[in-house]
Amino acid sequence: MSVLLALPVLLPLVCAATAMLFWRRLRVQRTIAVLTALGHLASTLALFVEVRRFGILVARFGDWPAPYGIVFVADTFSGLMLVTTSIVTLAVTVYSLSSIDADRESFGFFPLVCALLMGVSGAFLTGDIFNLYVWFEVLLIASFVLMALGGERKQLEGALKYVTLNLVSSSIFLAGLGLLYGSMGTLNLAQLSVRVAEATDPGFVTMLAMFFLLAFGIKAALFPLYGWLPSSYHTPPTAVSALFAGLLTKVGVYALIRTFTLVFTNDPTFTHRAVLLGMATVTILAGSLGAIVQRDLRRALSFTIVASVGFAVLGLAVSGGASQELATLALAGTIAYVIQAMVVKTQVFLLSGIVRRLSGSFDVARIGGLYASAPGVAILFLLGALALAGVPPLPSFIPKVAVLRAAFGEGLGVYAGVALLGSLLMLGAVARLWSHAFWRAPMERPHESDDDAPVNLVFRFIPVTGLTVVLVLLGVGAGPVFQVATEAARQLLDTDGYVRAVLGGAR
Amino acid sequence: MVTPALAILSLFTLGLLAPFLFALLPRHAGKLLCLPPAFWCGWFWSKTPASGQTWTSPWIPELGITFSFRLDGLASLFAILITGIGAMVLLYTEGYCGAKPGSGRLYGLLLLFLASMLGVVLADDAILLFLFWEATSVTSFLLIGFEHERANARRGAVQALMVTGGGGLALLAGLLVIVQQTGQGRISAWGPLAGDPLYLAMFALVAIGCFTKSAQFPFHFWLPNAMTAPTPVSAYLHSATMVKAGVYLLARLSGSLGGTEVWTWTLTLVGGATMLTGTLLALRQTDLKRLLAYSTVAALGTMVFVLARGGAEAASAFAAFVLAHALYKGALFLVAGAIDHTADSRDAFRLGGLWQRAPVLATASTLAGLGMMGVAPLAFLAKETLVDGLLSPPDVPSLIVFGVMAAGAVAIAGIVAFRPFFGKADPAIADGHKPDAPLLTGPAVLAVLGIVGGLTPTFVFERIGGPVAAAIGGGTDPHPWALWHGFGAPLAFSVGTLALGLAVYRAWPAWIARAAPWPSFGFDRAYDAGLRGTVSVARAFTRTIQNGRLRAYLQTTIATFLVLVTLAAVRWNPSPQIRLDTALPHEALLALAMLLAVLAAVRSVSRLAAVVTLGVVGFGVALTYALFGAPDLAMTQIAVETLTVILFVLTFYHLPRFARGSGTRTRAVDALLATGVGATMAAITLVASQRLLGTPISAHFAENSLAEAHGRNVVNVILVDYRGLDTLGEITVLSIAGLGVVALWTFGRRAAKGGSA
Amino acid sequence: MRSIILSTVARAMLPILIMFSLFLLWRGHNEPGGGFTGGLVAAAGVILFSLAYSPRAARRVVRVDLKTLTGFGLLMAAGSGTVAVFAGKPFLTGVWWKLAGPQGSTIELGTPFFFDLGVYLVVIGVTLSILFSKAEEEERP
Repeated sequence: MSVLLALPVLLPLVCAATAMLFWRRLRVQRTIAVLTALGHLASTLALFVEVRRFGILVARFGDWPAPYGIVFVADTFSGLMLVTTSIVTLAVTVYSLSSIDADRESFGFFPLVCALLMGVSGAFLTGDIFNLYVWFEVLLIASFVLMALGGERKQLEGALKYVTLNLVSSSIFLAGLGLLYGSMGTLNLAQLSVRVAEATDPGFVTMLAMFFLLAFGIKAALFPLYGWLPSSYHTPPTAVSALFAGLLTKVGVYALIRTFTLVFTNDPTFTHRAVLLGMATVTILAGSLGAIVQRDLRRALSFTIVASVGFAVLGLAVSGGASQELATLALAGTIAYVIQAMVVKTQVFLLSGIVRRLSGSFDVARIGGLYASAPGVAILFLLGALALAGVPPLPSFIPKVAVLRAAFGEGLGVYAGVALLGSLLMLGAVARLWSHAFWRAPMERPHESDDDAPVNLVFRFIPVTGLTVVLVLLGVGAGPVFQVATEAARQLLDTDGYVRAVLGGAR
Repeated sequence: MVTPALAILSLFTLGLLAPFLFALLPRHAGKLLCLPPAFWCGWFWSKTPASGQTWTSPWIPELGITFSFRLDGLASLFAILITGIGAMVLLYTEGYCGAKPGSGRLYGLLLLFLASMLGVVLADDAILLFLFWEATSVTSFLLIGFEHERANARRGAVQALMVTGGGGLALLAGLLVIVQQTGQGRISAWGPLAGDPLYLAMFALVAIGCFTKSAQFPFHFWLPNAMTAPTPVSAYLHSATMVKAGVYLLARLSGSLGGTEVWTWTLTLVGGATMLTGTLLALRQTDLKRLLAYSTVAALGTMVFVLARGGAEAASAFAAFVLAHALYKGALFLVAGAIDHTADSRDAFRLGGLWQRAPVLATASTLAGLGMMGVAPLAFLAKETLVDGLLSPPDVPSLIVFGVMAAGAVAIAGIVAFRPFFGKADPAIADGHKPDAPLLTGPAVLAVLGIVGGLTPTFVFERIGGPVAAAIGGGTDPHPWALWHGFGAPLAFSVGTLALGLAVYRAWPAWIARAAPWPSFGFDRAYDAGLRGTVSVARAFTRTIQNGRLRAYLQTTIATFLVLVTLAAVRWNPSPQIRLDTALPHEALLALAMLLAVLAAVRSVSRLAAVVTLGVVGFGVALTYALFGAPDLAMTQIAVETLTVILFVLTFYHLPRFARGSGTRTRAVDALLATGVGATMAAITLVASQRLLGTPISAHFAENSLAEAHGRNVVNVILVDYRGLDTLGEITVLSIAGLGVVALWTFGRRAAKGGSA
Repeated sequence: MRSIILSTVARAMLPILIMFSLFLLWRGHNEPGGGFTGGLVAAAGVILFSLAYSPRAARRVVRVDLKTLTGFGLLMAAGSGTVAVFAGKPFLTGVWWKLAGPQGSTIELGTPFFFDLGVYLVVIGVTLSILFSKAEEEERP
């Protein structure tokens, strides 16, 4: 086994534990956090290169062969998600150095971020569905504590909704796992894929699929399960919500994509073309409609996350058709879309923190004049906002074209139309945010912020600018990006290849 | 080889650098920045594309998207206009804005806009074209909102973005349908599409995109609202291309989508309605820029109207009109800006006598005005060519519509081009400053070109009219342009409309003075109503779904679970035999005890009782583990259960007794959902237990744990060895939970103290 | 309120419970027991002590900082898995040593035991830090 596959999980674990040993020494903890993020990026990049060279890589923990032990499986899709996760985490970690107060830091902010990173990485790598549950728990508990850390009333309210609904997701996941193991006798995804394909009673499998669709749908924030997201993302410090915006829902989307391309492919007419398609379409609309009416910048941005999740899942739903070519197109679009969405969401959320720092408020009606007073922020925000709305040449455009083309090709023009309507609403929402917060004459400074001490903003600008550069590169390099995404989509659709890589001869 | 791409890229880069150049040389930025576009204008002019030249390199092969550009007669005409007028506008900006801070941004945006426009007309790939199309929407959004602290500038900008952006999405859908159906991303590779089963959808979607962009009825309202932009921008937006992008695309696709009844009728009706609306609304205005804006709407209508007819003759007439209009309208917009600059007013009703103060400007304005009246050579030629087409065979309704438009143009030309200079001055008009050279060059050059172009008709036809006819008309125009068509019906028509227009011009001041203000026109209001409607729908929807109550979210989630599982069950339609008679008596007893404990927990009125009864359930679970041969699990469960109960009791100690927060109805819903979930889970579990679809891996563990993993306790071996990674994850969960509890208690205690202090 | 009986019992029980917990930990691989249960038993001993005396006194008995204990437990578990990596085996592969036991018997000791020891430490660290922090809150007015 290549240690490379274990590193994205081990590194944050060891760093979180080490940081706990240096509990009172914040400077050490900060150093550890930055080193973790850098090391994680290095390890995921190396892993990605290896995957591109050798195809699907498998690591057997404890040297036990699948399906008896737990395996990590890295394919191009996982690799892409991991590298993006590293980038997002690095940016947020640097941003948090100057933005998180000493109080939160002294209660374990950095170990928590490491644990979250560990959970997310594990979820992207594991080839075992129970192990996936474990990583979901890791990231759930870490994110819950991060969200509640600080104990402001608003925060606790948001965190309560967050944790309750996510625990419902966990319970459904666990119940589904029990039923799945009870009937299939295995937890290994590859073996599950084989057994589902051979199952004598596919209708029962479809019923089980609903458990996972629901559990992951809550995580991903699909309609009507997204209630937790807009109620909580605007409450914690900016760095935290930016981290969540970049990573959390994407784990849900990843799990949906993984299980509904590898395991639950027995009845796509129902699972993909009815349930996922319907939920995704309404999610797009619900997210964009929500974004239009919010006054709080971060709440508006939270709804844009919902809309983009809808769009990503739309691609997955479209890929459930008979045509392999269109399915590849749709999935490639979804993958490329998710990758850029992670970067964009983090970028805009971090920017919202800078906006708040400069204007003293998150309230769109009270921010103003930033176009004149902070042109740099304006340009960064404009790029992020246009990416949210899917305007070319930003990187969300080409994926959108891919998914829409596949949808038209599959005769799902109506759904494509709704997705386009969602884009228009999103354009309206970001135009409104822009014209309020940036164009309007400045208001008298509201000063609701208690974090007004003069702070060097360089550490906040560096990560945001870095993410924007990544964004622009993803847009400019749409050709190679889409090529890799297509490769990832092909791998996902080639379930035999996955099974062979994991199980070898032993089915 | 890649020259079109180079032109676009160079102008784009120049746009990014412009603010820095302005910071270095604020007084000469316009003079310097206008040189590259001027160069490209010359380059495009020097290329005479006979049949069209294409450049291609792969971009996204998986989607069939290529970097392909094509320079044919149509693209060449627009490219020349974009770069040429762009150069004039940049030069003019120097005179208009001077060294005013922030002008660097204006130069930059203008150049970015110019590059995007150039991309639209040069792109051959549909998606590439759309990319530039959206770029023009965004850059024009920023340009219209340039004076962003004014509320109407912001409104105009957002409106333009929403209308053209919405149309843009329709266009994208249309283009994608065409690409999907033809399997071709290159526009030049699309044959006639009229036979395609999806032709109507293609045409409708593309047409919406083009009509919104080109401000066609009923989308015309955004264009005058975009007038809040600084004048160089208005000139550029209107005369050069932004609004002509839609017309351009219609012309470009006339070969693929044209030639059908639907095409002809839609374009004729929409174009005609736009001509009339634009003309009538223009005559109601007194602001120079708004007058020009509405007359531009009418002119765009004319272009669409001409395109409806198809064929080489119409194509050549289209080319003549586009060229003439761009020159005189561009000049007039620049003149209007210069008047504003000179007299600090744009009120056509009150302005007058400016010729003494600005003789050069007056000359340029006169020449351009003659163009708009259809008297100056190039415009005269265009008008004659158009009328020629309408007369053979005579098309009376079209002639009437065109006549109204032409007469209106004459009147408007009188109002904007002559009245401010030669009319009687209102004494209230302040003395401004004299326009300087950069401000005058643009209008003068454009106006003079309008004259010169008309005097050399054969030359211009060979360069413009012929190639355009070849590009979109599918052949050569049998009647090359000529200035003099002889005495005949076209000339009579021209003279007639001229006379009618002059009469309207004479009547105009009295009409404006007397007329009560019209109710503000409907479509702008409809847009507002639509916007408000969308927002209130969005608000209602969001309030219902995202109502902030955790209970509602939980109910929704659980209900969704039930619905999905039921749907799947209905689809499955099984006939499962659920057997309960395998249970042993003591197992049944245990289950019954747990059930009773659950009921007691639900019914209990004190937290303590609820915790204790739930504890009973927990111990029941532990007992079940023990009964089914898992002593480790039983032990752990007992330990955890005990600690949980202790923790609950410690925590609840301080809390008040239950207050019944919810009414009977919500409790009923909760009960229903809870029972539903419980029953569903029980049923599924029973079914699942009788449906083993593969050998469980647990058998392997039981057999091999000692030999392979040196341990007899299978549970422990699984925990620390076979699935050690799970355990590693779980102890992380535990550690984080520990951190979290301590942190939350500490913060909570502090908050409580802070609250009481 | 401090009961003499309770404090005497607690003082006596603490070492017994700790020994018992270690016993559970050790035999876990072959008989019911293991790090998790063992950790809980050990924690129960300390909690009993803290009830009899005071959380502060109990903290003194534990001596090490609980976060350090937890972190160390995590590192121990992760580290036990890493041993195999240096032997060229996958992470978490069991590495076993045969040790000479008393009276000529052999004792098998493997990295999974150290993994379980890590679990044991984490469980003690977390359980105690939660309960101490709660109990200390109770103590304050």
